[in-house]
Amino acid sequence: MRILDKLWQALDERLDLAPVLEFATHKEVPQHRHSWAYYFGGLTLFFFFVQVATGILLLLYYRPTAEAAFESVQFIVTRVPFGWLIRSVHSWSANLMILAAFAHMFSVYLLGSYGKPRELTWWSGFVLLLLAMGFGFSGYLLPWNTLSFFATRVGTDMVSKVPLAGEWLLRFLRGGDDVTGATLTRFFGFHVAVLPMIMAALLGVHLALIQRQGMHIPEGLEEEARTRKPLRFIPSFVMREGVVWLAGLAALAALAAFFPWELGTKADPFASAPAGIKPEWYFLFMFETLKLLPAHVLGIEGELLGLAAFNLAGLVWFLVPVLDRGSSSGHRSRAFLLLGWLALAYIVSFTLLSFAGVFK
Amino acid sequence: MRNHLLAAAVVLAHAAAAWAVPPANVVRAPGKHAEDTCTACHVALDDEHLRAPALLANGDIHHTQGITCAGCHGGDPASENAAVAMNPARGFVGKFSRRAIPEMCGSCHSDPTFMLRYAPNIPTDQLAQYRTSKHGLALAKGDTSVAVCSSCHGAHGVLQVNDARSPVYPTRVVDTCGRCHGDAALMTRYGIKGNEITEYKQSVHYAALVTKNDLSAPTCKSCHGAHGATPPGVSSVSNVCGTCHPTQRERFDLSPHKDAFAALQQPACESCHGNHAILHPTDGWIGVGEKQVCGNCHSVGDAGATAAFAIAGALERATAATAGAEGRVDRVKRAGMLMDDADVKLEDAHQSLVVAQVEIHTVNPTRVDEQTKAVLASTGAADTLAAKAEAEIRYRRTGLFISLGVIALAMVALIFKVRAMER
Repeated sequence: MRILDKLWQALDERLDLAPVLEFATHKEVPQHRHSWAYYFGGLTLFFFFVQVATGILLLLYYRPTAEAAFESVQFIVTRVPFGWLIRSVHSWSANLMILAAFAHMFSVYLLGSYGKPRELTWWSGFVLLLLAMGFGFSGYLLPWNTLSFFATRVGTDMVSKVPLAGEWLLRFLRGGDDVTGATLTRFFGFHVAVLPMIMAALLGVHLALIQRQGMHIPEGLEEEARTRKPLRFIPSFVMREGVVWLAGLAALAALAAFFPWELGTKADPFASAPAGIKPEWYFLFMFETLKLLPAHVLGIEGELLGLAAFNLAGLVWFLVPVLDRGSSSGHRSRAFLLLGWLALAYIVSFTLLSFAGVFK
Repeated sequence: MRNHLLAAAVVLAHAAAAWAVPPANVVRAPGKHAEDTCTACHVALDDEHLRAPALLANGDIHHTQGITCAGCHGGDPASENAAVAMNPARGFVGKFSRRAIPEMCGSCHSDPTFMLRYAPNIPTDQLAQYRTSKHGLALAKGDTSVAVCSSCHGAHGVLQVNDARSPVYPTRVVDTCGRCHGDAALMTRYGIKGNEITEYKQSVHYAALVTKNDLSAPTCKSCHGAHGATPPGVSSVSNVCGTCHPTQRERFDLSPHKDAFAALQQPACESCHGNHAILHPTDGWIGVGEKQVCGNCHSVGDAGATAAFAIAGALERATAATAGAEGRVDRVKRAGMLMDDADVKLEDAHQSLVVAQVEIHTVNPTRVDEQTKAVLASTGAADTLAAKAEAEIRYRRTGLFISLGVIALAMVALIFKVRAMER
């Protein structure tokens, strides 16, 4: 213990850490009927840590070339001790991370926590979600199996619809005219270098902002929060979050053991696209909507119009702290609340209906 | 008799004029569509029989290659005067007698120099072959009910053999033969049953042709020949089947059946597999019971029946082992395990099983057994891999339950700690 004390003393002398410790020990988390929502962000963070750890382990054996990628993943899941577990946990954790991020985002939105002074937290969170989806899209191709190959072909093809820069963007993403080994190599680069770097930096900003500003108390619950005793961040909230993380870990272990992530068959670029190619589930609502659109609407290509609408909707969602003027004074508009519920209902229903095979 | 000879002489004289390689005014350069006054007039005629050939001429391979109606019928295709155009003095022959048709077609198709200009790859021995065929021999004897060139290829509107619309295209030739050979009343005159086409249509060969669109699947002509159509003799049946099934033939030649069948004047393949209604063979055929082919000649207690029982037993064990291993590997796969190694072993088992089924033709139980042992070795290896995978699944699930237990304990401990602290 004396060694630890000495170490702390030495660090404190040099870095002046006492105020940090002071802040941490005095930080409090308000309590009210919706304080359960505060745990989703931490859960997302937990899955992100799992992704980093399992991703690094997968890197030990994964080979990012069209010739060797599939075989290397096959090697990982069949020959490497616990390789099956690491790969399966990585795939499941990726999906649970997106799910937790969506839950976090919608709870923040529906409780109106995006308003001033938390605009920057909302914006950084929005970009973090896009990055997570980018992780999912780039990681999906890496095992180089039939489904991922053709889904990537369809997914990247949508980029070509972007006016003016579409063709250039398509070639930039694919590293050529079609999805090839060159695409795999650059997706690998995005997945393990570019995206993690940006994600780590932005995550730091996001977390720092939350620490700096503290938890938001939703409109109408101020009185309740005042009367109930707040939780001390350390150790109470951290330990409660620990319980949630352990539940997340248990879910991951059960899913990985009972539903090992399938590998499928190796991609054959010369084969015709298999029936029923689908993107990852979190792109399904957009995918199915685009399929439902007619070929042409008022002379404009339906798919292009759909993509433009999604971009516009994304922009509105991003700008909501500015557009919802009342949110800065704690009086959010009912219209934006309704918009949030509609968006949630639309995403959930389209995703579930797609799983149910309604759109076939 | 004299009148008949005279008539034949007149026909032959016309034929000599008309069927010598067509003169320059009736054929244009190959590849150029024919132009003549014959079709120009005949398309406008009221008589259906006279108009139809002119309508068909447009798609006819001869017409598209510059050969006019006069190429076969003689006359002057340039004259617009019907009396001149169809003047016998200019070699005009109207409707041909069936007897004359093969010689007329052969006047060009048997001439290699002439055919070289149009279709250098098609053989020029069709007429010679036809003369050796049952059809040709009967025609020579004056039977005009038999098939001549136009019976199969059509008279006007003749299409190339590789044109899917042609009546002799692989998918259509069976029905073309069937126009006569499916007519039981007509076939009775020749001592043929007339059910051959119906039987063929139940065969694996026909199924391959129509369901898999496998154009290499045998049709009537593959075994009987096209122009020299003749039933294969007893001794040549195995040669005919062996062109596509060489391994089976080779194994059969090693068997005691070869000499025995020859001595009994019994066809080789056909004795067990039938001829037209060749069904997919099953292992159940082997034995001396009802609907089992060995029982056609053998009975319980003789050497053949003993060999059949030995072979059937070995195959049954191999098939059961393969099905068992497949089921086990499949169950493990459904539990999420990658079983590529086991799949390779199962593929090996299938290969050996197929070879064992080919070895049946030797009727040698030892040779069949060699292959069924290989099947059992492969299925055994697949079984071992499946057992390993099952153990791995149990291990993973046990590990999972232990980890879940540890996690649950940690959660409970944390919850108690939090409660204690917050009290």
